Amino acid sequence: MELSLNSMKNIESSYLQPTETPLNQPVAEHIENATTILGIQHPSAIKTISLENNSEEKPVVAVDVSSIGIGETETGMLCAIRGAIVWKEKNRYKYQRIGPFPFHITEENKKEICKLFRNHSFEISGDHGAPSIINIQARIGNLLERWLQLGISCSAYDTIILWDGSMTAGMADSPVDEVSRLLEIARNRLSTVLAFSKNTTLRFSGHKLTDLAEKAEPPCLLQIDGFPLGSGPVLLLGDIYVAKLTPGVCSFRLDIDRKVPREQGIEAVQSLLGSDLLVQSYPETLRLAHIFSTFTATEVIGIQRFIVHQYGLKIVTRPNVRRLLFGPFGKGAEG
Amino acid sequence: MRLYRKEGNSLQILSSPKDDVEKGDYLLVEDTNVNRKLIVQVIDVQFASVPGLLEELLRDSTADEQVHGENFDPLGVSSHINHIQDARMLICKIRGTIVNDKLHVNSSWLPCRSKSGIKKISFNSLLKHVGGNDRLPINVGETKDGSPLNITAHDLDGRLNIITGKKGTGKSHLSKLLVLGLVDYGATVVVFDLNGEYSGLGFSTKGGGNQYSGRVHVLTPGANFRVSLSQMGLSVILKIMIHALGLPGTSTREFKHIWKSLSQQGKFTLQDLGEAIRRCNCNMHVRDALFSRYHSLVNSGFFTDNEESTTNFEKLFEKTKKDGGALVINLKNVSSVDRQIVLEYTLGNLVNLLNQWKIKSVFLFAEEAHLYLRETYWEDIVTRMRHFGLFTNFVTNQPDTIKENIYRQADSIFLFNFTNERDLETVSKAARVDSETVKSIAQELPPHHCLLIGRAVKDFPVTVKVKALDIRTMGQTRLFFADSINAYNKLSA
Repeated sequence: MELSLNSMKNIESSYLQPTETPLNQPVAEHIENATTILGIQHPSAIKTISLENNSEEKPVVAVDVSSIGIGETETGMLCAIRGAIVWKEKNRYKYQRIGPFPFHITEENKKEICKLFRNHSFEISGDHGAPSIINIQARIGNLLERWLQLGISCSAYDTIILWDGSMTAGMADSPVDEVSRLLEIARNRLSTVLAFSKNTTLRFSGHKLTDLAEKAEPPCLLQIDGFPLGSGPVLLLGDIYVAKLTPGVCSFRLDIDRKVPREQGIEAVQSLLGSDLLVQSYPETLRLAHIFSTFTATEVIGIQRFIVHQYGLKIVTRPNVRRLLFGPFGKGAEG
Repeated sequence: MRLYRKEGNSLQILSSPKDDVEKGDYLLVEDTNVNRKLIVQVIDVQFASVPGLLEELLRDSTADEQVHGENFDPLGVSSHINHIQDARMLICKIRGTIVNDKLHVNSSWLPCRSKSGIKKISFNSLLKHVGGNDRLPINVGETKDGSPLNITAHDLDGRLNIITGKKGTGKSHLSKLLVLGLVDYGATVVVFDLNGEYSGLGFSTKGGGNQYSGRVHVLTPGANFRVSLSQMGLSVILKIMIHALGLPGTSTREFKHIWKSLSQQGKFTLQDLGEAIRRCNCNMHVRDALFSRYHSLVNSGFFTDNEESTTNFEKLFEKTKKDGGALVINLKNVSSVDRQIVLEYTLGNLVNLLNQWKIKSVFLFAEEAHLYLRETYWEDIVTRMRHFGLFTNFVTNQPDTIKENIYRQADSIFLFNFTNERDLETVSKAARVDSETVKSIAQELPPHHCLLIGRAVKDFPVTVKVKALDIRTMGQTRLFFADSINAYNKLSA
């Protein structure tokens, strides 16, 4: 909240050009798992692990964060982030939504924003270099997500913690030390982190990883060994599986903390089968976290209204160059 | 409020939930750049089609049912999101344009979308813009904003009006209010009172006489309303014989001869007529036909040979000339044939008196007129008799019993609630209003609220809560469980 307010301070008396969101389409969420592309050269084996429903019910908690562009100002861009934590306890789902928090990102304050964010969340002063304004929206979202994950790791005990995304670390918004620390705290509190990726860039013999589970009998995991631990600064902190937990067409990349004994990891997935509702192999808790954090078009308009009211901005609409030049033949994003 | 779209004479205005605008309200769209104002009326209030709303509602409904939680929103952004969710679209009809403070019925002008100011205006300030006639006001009640709404007696004078709505919505009440309003200004009013509802016009709610007690004359056929044959001209008796009693053509010819013969002899008693028919040298079937009609006349109890107990219409109207008055023809408990006899007589006499300029003009209030007025009378009343000074006000809960051409000629319509779309479809054929306004507003009118359409409101439809009257209520439905209702009411009190 403090970060949000600080960043918004410098936008008074300027204009706001709202983002031209294709409002009938879902607004973009932050891109998870988009930065790392690891090619796999020689996988030693793919092993199918059949799962059984573990009757021991465990608490399940999931975290997700969304960010969205709100518009442009004379000096930068406006975005908003919101996080959601959903947990299942005694057959009831509960949620806590945090935000939305608007941010004004300019060339002047972007480094400061990142630094402040890091100082607040990870208590380190390292600087990975500020990204471009365009990328900082996703970066801020990721940082909030890590912050919420830290909170969960510290507070949950003997719990299945679900992340949206992978356990790939080594990028600016997910430093290896910090992600390792999150996992370690969770491990020490007997919790297991399971990270579900809806999209993955990992491929096996040219095929998308999640396509491997097409013919597998659910519930099962495809254990894929032989992945390099990392490439350059990027590290895979989890063992990689393909999870097909229910019948249907969907399967997901599942990362389980590499430092958790393999049996314990599989046990955690089996506990998830008995503890959470699974639809199309995806845990309901994580689905709800995604739903509660995602911005709808109405909310985007509402946030724009809030900014206009709170900071006295005037909404202006710049001509759409693409539309001006190409008329009905213009397509894709403006630019 | 912001202008969103214009299609034909419809305007869509985006409105915030804080704007206190309801169906029926008037808005002024002012474009100061060109010094023009558009007068529009809200005919429907809808939710604005906000993108992403469905997703939002689906998410919220999930949260309502199975998921519980809270939002940590320290900046208070949610209130702005809720504001967007509740945004409204006001569907409006353009009623006119004000250019240099003069009203023009013109919807072709398009105000500036970004610069125009939109504000709500009360109906009375709208009328000031319009510049209505404020002489001889009749207060019918109050508008939504609580300000009194007056129509002027001039707008009922020489006009055709229709009061319609479903049962129990307050049509007769408004009708009584208009009757008394006209009487206040010295007008002569004739009421065809089908259910004996108007008999109490001269009494206050407490039972005693009110200010109208000397000016309301209740005529009950067969009791204090009886006539002799000598009071009737040939044209009136023929109308009764043909239209009320269905006398065929040949028999009518014979009856004319009999009547003329009696007229020459100066014999106009019922007994003379019966004797003349008996002695008539005509076909047996014709005589039978004449006799059957003669007995109908006798059995109606409406006719008498005692001249002293007859009602002199001319004298009655004379009484109403100075201070105005209402002649209430009480048709309660009168059989349908007798009803038609009475009506044919009354209308025939009225037309005669008007023709001879013995009375200036008459306001006729006809309740459920289809039950006693023959088909051909409709057009006659609306077109020809209007020029003689007979100004009709139809009161009905069956709008389809009034012909379409009458709706088209109606000057004002006082429309109460109708739920049935077919009824509204019928009323919407009136030439003075668009069907969308009728359908949208009338369907949601609460009891005792009416939508005024047409000349009485200068063609600016307005919803009014009809004011209460201090008169004895008659014509209430007799209830089997009335005692238990009364007992319950006492206990509740």
